[in-house]
Amino acid sequence: MEEPIIQLRGIKKVYTVGVETIHALRGVDLDIRRNEMVAIMGSSGSGKSTLMNTLGCLDRPTEGEYRLGTRLVSAMRPDELALVRNEEIGFVFQSFELLPRQTALENVELPLLYSSTGGSASSRRRRALEALERVGLGKRVDHRPNQLSGGQKQRVAIARAILNNPRILMADEPTGNLDSATTAEILALFSALNESGQTIIIVTHENDVAAHCTRVVRLRDGRILSDLPAEEDPEVLPFVPEARETQRRRRSPQEQAAA
Amino acid sequence: MSQAIFFFLKSVTMALSQIWANKARSFLTALGIIVGVASVTAVIAALTGLKAKVLTEFESVGAARLYVFPNRPDNAPRTKFPWEKCRLKVEEARAIVEQCPSIKGLSPIVDVPMSVESDSELIEGMNVSGIWPAWHDAVGRKVLRGRPFSAIDIDTGRQVALVNEAAVEELKLDRDGNGGIGEHVLLGGRRFLVIGVVETLQARMFGMNSSQAEIFIPFSVAEKVLTGWYFMQFVALARSPEVAEEAKAEIEYVMRRQRGLARTDPDTFRVAAIDQYINQFKSMAAGVTAIAGGIVGISLLVGGIGIMNIMLVSVSERTREIGLRKAVGATSTAILLQFLLEAVTLTVLGGLVGLVIGKALALSLTFIPGANLEQADVPYWAVAVALVFSAAVGVAFGMFPAIKASRLDPIEALRHE
Repeated sequence: MEEPIIQLRGIKKVYTVGVETIHALRGVDLDIRRNEMVAIMGSSGSGKSTLMNTLGCLDRPTEGEYRLGTRLVSAMRPDELALVRNEEIGFVFQSFELLPRQTALENVELPLLYSSTGGSASSRRRRALEALERVGLGKRVDHRPNQLSGGQKQRVAIARAILNNPRILMADEPTGNLDSATTAEILALFSALNESGQTIIIVTHENDVAAHCTRVVRLRDGRILSDLPAEEDPEVLPFVPEARETQRRRRSPQEQAAA
Repeated sequence: MSQAIFFFLKSVTMALSQIWANKARSFLTALGIIVGVASVTAVIAALTGLKAKVLTEFESVGAARLYVFPNRPDNAPRTKFPWEKCRLKVEEARAIVEQCPSIKGLSPIVDVPMSVESDSELIEGMNVSGIWPAWHDAVGRKVLRGRPFSAIDIDTGRQVALVNEAAVEELKLDRDGNGGIGEHVLLGGRRFLVIGVVETLQARMFGMNSSQAEIFIPFSVAEKVLTGWYFMQFVALARSPEVAEEAKAEIEYVMRRQRGLARTDPDTFRVAAIDQYINQFKSMAAGVTAIAGGIVGISLLVGGIGIMNIMLVSVSERTREIGLRKAVGATSTAILLQFLLEAVTLTVLGGLVGLVIGKALALSLTFIPGANLEQADVPYWAVAVALVFSAAVGVAFGMFPAIKASRLDPIEALRHE
């Protein structure tokens, strides 16, 4: 079997807040393979945010090993982690985090600003346009965020995240600020990206969102509670048929854009 | 396009859009820099204009002019160099004229205050000078009416006189509309025919003569008329300002030889060129520039504190943005550079606006009548200095906020409300 692209071994994370010590992660082992679409679930305080930050190389574990591809990122310095984030990881956030005074295209180009190999101005623009095409937003590239709907903003954010063809796409409650119709569109977009080979990790507390994933990892008190295919997770299962139906209907973002 | 240039351009563009988005705030923040740069630019322009004016004036009165004075060496024993050995002699003047190739003309000058009488007036203590014809060229004072002294006047010792206009007025010489020419004056018991009128000396910038009325007689006559005088100086004109230094050296050489001074003996005379006065003025101007620099330093400091303040506000407002930039791969250094560039863009823009205002002020100075500032202009070095200083203020005062931004933890920053 293929080597996992993410390998967590005995990950622990301890925070000290004032005099209090918080064990956010108490020993997590997790493998994620290429082209998986994984939901990380758990109530607040379960450690899912910490796990997400660790997976996204925003934070380093107190203990344990994290391998991303062949790199041992748990031993890296902050500036090396910045490079890993730039090249290997794409982030999608609940509140989009677009720069308000930049156009959609400029927002998508942002990661290239911090890349060591940005390429020429025209190649940057071409790559950003391609990314926008992939999320079905090839036409509104010169709009600013305040001229875009919530769903369009999140598409721009996704285009920015996939610009560098990252090894993993990390989404933190990506539909938390969207209505149900737009949520369905965005989730279908994630599925489509996943079908085209993108590995995706979605942090969510909503079962219907998790139903779009192939695998559901549940956390509680800093440990993995369960790690099952979506169809086998009892709480997610009821939402799976509808999710699969949505995925069939909205097969590709291009069709969607046309619709 | 290399990544570094792209980063730089992109950062500056973002800084500009940031400044544009907060126009009023940015303007108020940069006001300290604007006022500082504008005021110092105007002061430097005024000084430059004054300097140009003064220098052209010196130039016109003669950068080629040299004076020779008697001078007793400071530390030499009085017995070795008595006054008798130091004072200038006419033979020395002749020797200089004959032997110094860089000298175009020379005149000895003796000045003595005497009683001068015209038909109607008697004036005590009027300045009477004995001169050679070369005096006119050497001091640059032309004859306005009548004629200058001729060699014959000097050689034959004719009792003729030149007066200045103030003397014409004070002695009431202008009686028949002849401007004083042809009148007679009495001095030292002799009658002199007024043959010409020279301009009255303009009030000198480094005040030497305050007395206005002057009367000039041939040197050879002065030697006979004036009694008991011991002070004589020479005024000489070099062939051009460029050879003034050589002329000075030649005079020194001839004088030492005339006086038979040994190699180890100090000079018993002094040769002064006009550039000493120019240097005096230049050092004064430099002093004023330094004071202006101090003032601008203070205003830049105040401006800089404003910049630091607004950059801290900006960092705090844009915490989430910083978090996002870090999430997509910005290193701490990249964030630091971006905020530094933003501060520098702001201060340099302020500096540019200040320069434009300063230039406008300089232009308006040139229209002030009688201020002698017609040549006021902002020199290129001042433009460069103003911009470099503005940028330096941006770096110095933007550093702390930029470091603060660069050290933000991306997770905390993204969580910031």
